[in-house]
Amino acid sequence: MGKSFILKDADFTGFLDKLSFDFDVFFPVKNGSQRFFKKFVNANDHPVVGEVRPFEPLKAFFSRAREFVAENFSAEPPKINHKPYAIVGVKACDLKGFQIQDFVFKNNGLEDPFYIHNREKNLIIGADCTCAIDTCFCIALGIKPYPHRDFDLNLSTVPGGYVVEEGSEKGKALLEKYPSLFKNAAESELRAKEEQRAKTTRAVEENLKKFQVPTEDKFQGIIERNFASKIWEEEAKTCVECGACTNICPTCHCFFLYDQKDDKKMARLRVWDSCMIKDYARVAGGANPRKRLWMRLRNRFEKKFDFFPKVLKVYACTGCGRCISACPAKIDIRKVLKRLVANA
Amino acid sequence: MLEKNPYRILKAEVLEVTAETPTIKTIRFKPEQPVPFRTGQFIELTIPGVGESPFTPSSKPSINDVLEVSVMKVGKVTEKVHQLKKGDEIGVRGPFGNGYPLDEFKGKEVLVVGGGCGFAPLRSLMYSLFELSGQFKKLCFRGGCKAPSEFLYRKEIEGWAKRPDLNLELTVDKGDESWKGHVGLVTTILDSAQMDYKNGIAILCGPPIMMKFGAKKIMEMGFQEKNLFLSMEKNMSCGIGKCGHCRLGTYYCCKDGPVFRYDQIKNLSEIWD
Repeated sequence: MGKSFILKDADFTGFLDKLSFDFDVFFPVKNGSQRFFKKFVNANDHPVVGEVRPFEPLKAFFSRAREFVAENFSAEPPKINHKPYAIVGVKACDLKGFQIQDFVFKNNGLEDPFYIHNREKNLIIGADCTCAIDTCFCIALGIKPYPHRDFDLNLSTVPGGYVVEEGSEKGKALLEKYPSLFKNAAESELRAKEEQRAKTTRAVEENLKKFQVPTEDKFQGIIERNFASKIWEEEAKTCVECGACTNICPTCHCFFLYDQKDDKKMARLRVWDSCMIKDYARVAGGANPRKRLWMRLRNRFEKKFDFFPKVLKVYACTGCGRCISACPAKIDIRKVLKRLVANA
Repeated sequence: MLEKNPYRILKAEVLEVTAETPTIKTIRFKPEQPVPFRTGQFIELTIPGVGESPFTPSSKPSINDVLEVSVMKVGKVTEKVHQLKKGDEIGVRGPFGNGYPLDEFKGKEVLVVGGGCGFAPLRSLMYSLFELSGQFKKLCFRGGCKAPSEFLYRKEIEGWAKRPDLNLELTVDKGDESWKGHVGLVTTILDSAQMDYKNGIAILCGPPIMMKFGAKKIMEMGFQEKNLFLSMEKNMSCGIGKCGHCRLGTYYCCKDGPVFRYDQIKNLSEIWD
């Protein structure tokens, strides 16, 4: 744990202004009942630093939904034409996604230079959740509704401002760069932070009770045990194969490479892909290991609750609940997990 | 500055296109810089503007400035591959994956079994094994095809019968007037290999149905699971274990394969589909 400071409400916009010299700054705003990341341009937007995660997953700032990865036959990677991103108000559930994304894109000896570039250059300003919405169940996946790692700075909403915690050298350097904005936090402010954290934690715990969500200590072997179960067919019945669940997921990382060509240029792009789509694993010869929709639903759970725990010792779910709200077919990951755990 | 880009496409020039069978053509091409590969590794071949597909080179790994792939016309990219002609510009990435552990085969009896399009990677493997001639206790090749007209590299493979260092038998599912040899599935000509199965090495590469029944037969013969090497075909795209498409249990076919030992994958549900 780094040192704690206070950033007053009145100084917040000024801080974002300063950040925007070096970064494209994004922060959450509210539109209706949902929160979205918006690019900071002036002080008129009302940031929602606390509350819960925005609708878009954080991964969108690290492996873009659509990006150029090669041009012509050039050894030079395509140019990156924007400042690094500073993402403000990042929640603990999204930060857990880094454990998976980093493993995939960094740590197997075959590095992805685009992701690594973004990880090095982008700035993460985390924030405590100050409430829970119906779909929040992070605690079931062993995380708390406030960041404890993988941030540069973290903001805890307290009356009159934010308690700021440094989480990296990059974050520390920022605090040192703008000393007039960050004062030592008072005892009462630190207490307010802890009280809010306890309150939000209780709200998520209430959710777990209300929706009877099983916790990850019961996940061992649930896929292998239920591999031949009818659960998959039953749960996949309403699926429309839209891929929303995977697009919106902080841990899903799959992508699809495709080519474009005009008179001047040939380019290779990657776009996010979804294992729920029929042709995902199909080979040109026609063989498809997962022809049926329920096999693909099972595969999605297998990747999250069997593959990643085996190769990385982490369940690739963060309890952010996005897939629950994004699914037009009302497939609820909490309910599926409950059924898998119950069918022991 | 970004590190080396694994998605970079290397320019290559088509030197020669050979029609092998009604559905398979061999493309001989020269990349702008050598592509050193181990036998069994694969490359991604790009048709500019259309896309890329994975192929295992069918040529000698000891030659890395000119490569060959034999391609069956089955999809969007391979259809364009079949339209290529001398002088055309294509692209290549790779090599990717593990390849065959040749050192482990030395001093042992080796049985290579394949068929159909599987002859492409196996030809490269056989070239490598021929280069190591004398270092194996015994070398057997068993090949099968649907019909003589679909027999990839037929002349060349039939020519291997003259090699003193190779025990060769070939078969087709259905013969014609040009075929004087054995008729039947490849699994019916394996027993004549007469090997020390328990300590031998078996290598299997072919269409899914041949892989399935071939593996079953090879196990019945008494080979050890860890000594059966299978070259798996999955939807390899990025080649570096990131895009997710070719996952096989806890492995990615592109980086942990495409060559797997049977005991690594035998319990996975999706291997033969």
